[in-house]
Order: sequence, then C-alpha cells, then structure tokens
Amino acid sequence: MIYLNAFLFAGFICLICQIVLDNTKLTPGHITSSVTIIGAILSYFGIYDKLIEYCGAGATTLISNFGHMLYSSGLQGYEENGFLGIFMKLLCSSGVAIVSVIVFSFVFTLLFKAKD
Amino acid sequence: MASLSFNNVFINEWETISGPLESDSKLKKYDLKMNDYYFYENTFEQAEIRMQKEVIDSLLKKVNYQKEDIDLIIGGDLLDQIAATSYANNNMPSSFLGIYNACATFPESIIIGSMFLNKKSIKNVLSITSAHNLTAERQFRYPIEYGSPKPQTSTFTATSAISTLLSKNIGKIKIESATIGKITELGIKDANNMGAVMVPAAAKTLYEHLNDLKRDIDYYDLILTGDLGCVGSNIFKEYTEINYNLKLKKYLDAGCELYLNSQETYAGGSGPACLPLVLFNKILLNKKYKKILIIGTGALHSKTLLNQKLPIPAIAHAVSLEVL
Repeated sequence: MIYLNAFLFAGFICLICQIVLDNTKLTPGHITSSVTIIGAILSYFGIYDKLIEYCGAGATTLISNFGHMLYSSGLQGYEENGFLGIFMKLLCSSGVAIVSVIVFSFVFTLLFKAKD
Repeated sequence: MASLSFNNVFINEWETISGPLESDSKLKKYDLKMNDYYFYENTFEQAEIRMQKEVIDSLLKKVNYQKEDIDLIIGGDLLDQIAATSYANNNMPSSFLGIYNACATFPESIIIGSMFLNKKSIKNVLSITSAHNLTAERQFRYPIEYGSPKPQTSTFTATSAISTLLSKNIGKIKIESATIGKITELGIKDANNMGAVMVPAAAKTLYEHLNDLKRDIDYYDLILTGDLGCVGSNIFKEYTEINYNLKLKKYLDAGCELYLNSQETYAGGSGPACLPLVLFNKILLNKKYKKILIIGTGALHSKTLLNQKLPIPAIAHAVSLEVL
C-alpha cells in the first residue's frame, strides 16, 4: 500500500507543479522554493511526519521534504540550545543531501562533460 | 529616412554550418555539419568560435578568394561582448565592425554592408553571424546543466554559423532595398515568449517598409520573418491585420519552418542564425520565390535588466531581396 501511496502523492505534487508552470509566469526556481516553504509549513502543523509515515519515499524524495527537514532540525536546535540553536542545527538533517550533492557534482564534473 | 534603396549590391555567395539537430530538420541541404555541440573543442563557446572560422574559410575557398580580398567583415553573435565573432576574426587582415541586434543581426549586417559598398575603397564585404544553442541558453536563460523545463511559448536557439559575401559584382541575389527598424516595446516581460515580444517591432517595420517604398503587400512573393516562432507568427498575422490592416497571405516564419514537430523545440527555432539558415538552405532552393522580404526580429533583452523587472525592447530590420 505504501508503494501506491508514494506513487500517488509524489505524482499529485508534480501534477500541481506542472499545472502551475504551464499556466503562470512563475519560473522553475519560484516553484521549487514555494514547494520547499509549503513543506516547512506542513511540518509546523505536524502533517509532514504523517505523510512520510503513509507515503515513505513518495514524501521524502520531493523538495518539500527539504522544507520539512529545515523546520524540524531548526526546532530541535531551538529546544536544545535556545535561539542560537536554530542556526546551529538548521542544516543538520538536510546536510547529508547538500554535502552529497556538492561532492557528487564535483566528482561527475571531473568525469563527464555536459551534453545537450 | 528609415528605408533605403540600393543599386548594384549583391549577395554573391554564402556558407552555412548546421548543428546536430538542424542537420536532421526540415532543411533541404546544408554546406557543413557539426556532429556534436563541442565541434572538436573543449567548450561550447570555443565551438562557436570554430564554427565561425570554418564558415569563413570555407566561403573563401568556395569563391577562390584570399583573406586579403575581403575589405570589411561585419558580424555579431549572442555572447557577451559578441565574443565569438571577435575571437573568430582575430588577426584577420580585413577591417572589422562588430554589431549586435540580437536575432536581427543578420539583416543589420547586410544593411550596413550594402551601405559601405557604395564607397569605392570597399569592394568585398563579408557578413558573419552565429548562434550556439547551449551558449545562448547559458547567456539568456539558464545553463543547460540546470535542466530547467520550459513553457510551450519558448523558442529554441538554432545552432549555426553563416557567412555571406556581399559585393557589387552581379551575383545570385540582389539586395534591392531595406528598412532600418525602430526599437519597440509594449511592456511584455516574459523571456519565455519572445515571439510576442518581437511582433510589434516586426509589424511596424513591415508597415513602414511598404509605406516608404509605396508598395503593396502583394509585391512580394514571400515575407519571411526571422524567429517569431510558431506562436509568435500567429500573433504577427493577427496583429498586422488589426493594427495596420495588412493581410499576410504569402508569409512564413523561419523559426517555425526549421524544426520537425518530433524534435520537441517548443515554439520553433530562434537566434540570429535561424533566419539566414532557413533562407539559404530552404527558401532559396524553392525557385518560385523571386521577391523576398526578410524581416529579422531581435529581442534586445538583458538578463540583468529583466531581473530588475524592466520590459523587453525589440527591433526588426527588413531587407528586400531579388533572386536573379
């Protein structure tokens, strides 16, 4: 069941984004940042944890999960170390994605050339 | 004073190179072909420089001229500081004028070249223009590595370089008259709908051309706009009819005539090389067109000013050609 949920949820989000892209003047940059912010808002209401529970990777692979991770690790930092803790912990859980993107991009740039 | 008539100025010969996608498109022939976007170089920008060098060398070989026989080179491209043209003509023995009018660079170079040919000291003028899809994307939109999806109204920069030899010796095509366009802007800010941006400029140039030379629209066998694309050319037909009461019957758009539907190029081709590529490799092969009016259309936008929310100005130059 979780596979079907993952497929339906991620597909639904992509569908909405495509409709927005086709019918408004928003650029892909606008859309990805909006989805990130929506993820953070859903995280505030505790909805995103539920989505991950029901949809698994269908919720975690989307960019909205980045917003969720920013919010939850920022909150964790605040609870542990107060206001400065937000800055200390903000990128804690998303660090794995950010660092791996930088490292792998670097490695692949050395190995391959851009094609059309 | 916007329109000029020329006596005895001819396009003698041309050379085109077409990119990997353009070689398999609706074009009927091409002179040189690139198998990939690198063209034996390390970067796309260097590939564009090489494309220009190749078409110049190949053109000179075709007409059996030495580099010294060319008195003046006029050209431009889409890179910052028109770098491809400047680098490609590095250490050439000819005088050089770099010009930029975005996708209207080709007719602009033809107009300036034809003016100079009235001087006795200038006998042969070489016009050069080029565009490379991947350098232009990086220049005006996003780097291609970003993989940004595009809306259906956006156009696809055609990869090609074209060199054209102009002189007073009777040649294949006579440059009969021309109209220098005016910068026009109706407040459109959408960089993904260049067709709509350039339509007012193109329509104004067409109207002024016909008005100045006291011609009817049926005088021409074909009106060929540069790169309005399939979306823009439909707007153009509607716009000219409503605003200038001109009914376009014998009309084609080079951008819309370039790619096959299966090539997924959104609204069609664009770029300074699109118009001459389609003109030389498709339109002129069709013998029924004798009097052709080409209208090169250029969106003069800058990425920086677009981000500062300024609308996009556009220009269009018209050149009337007679096939001999």
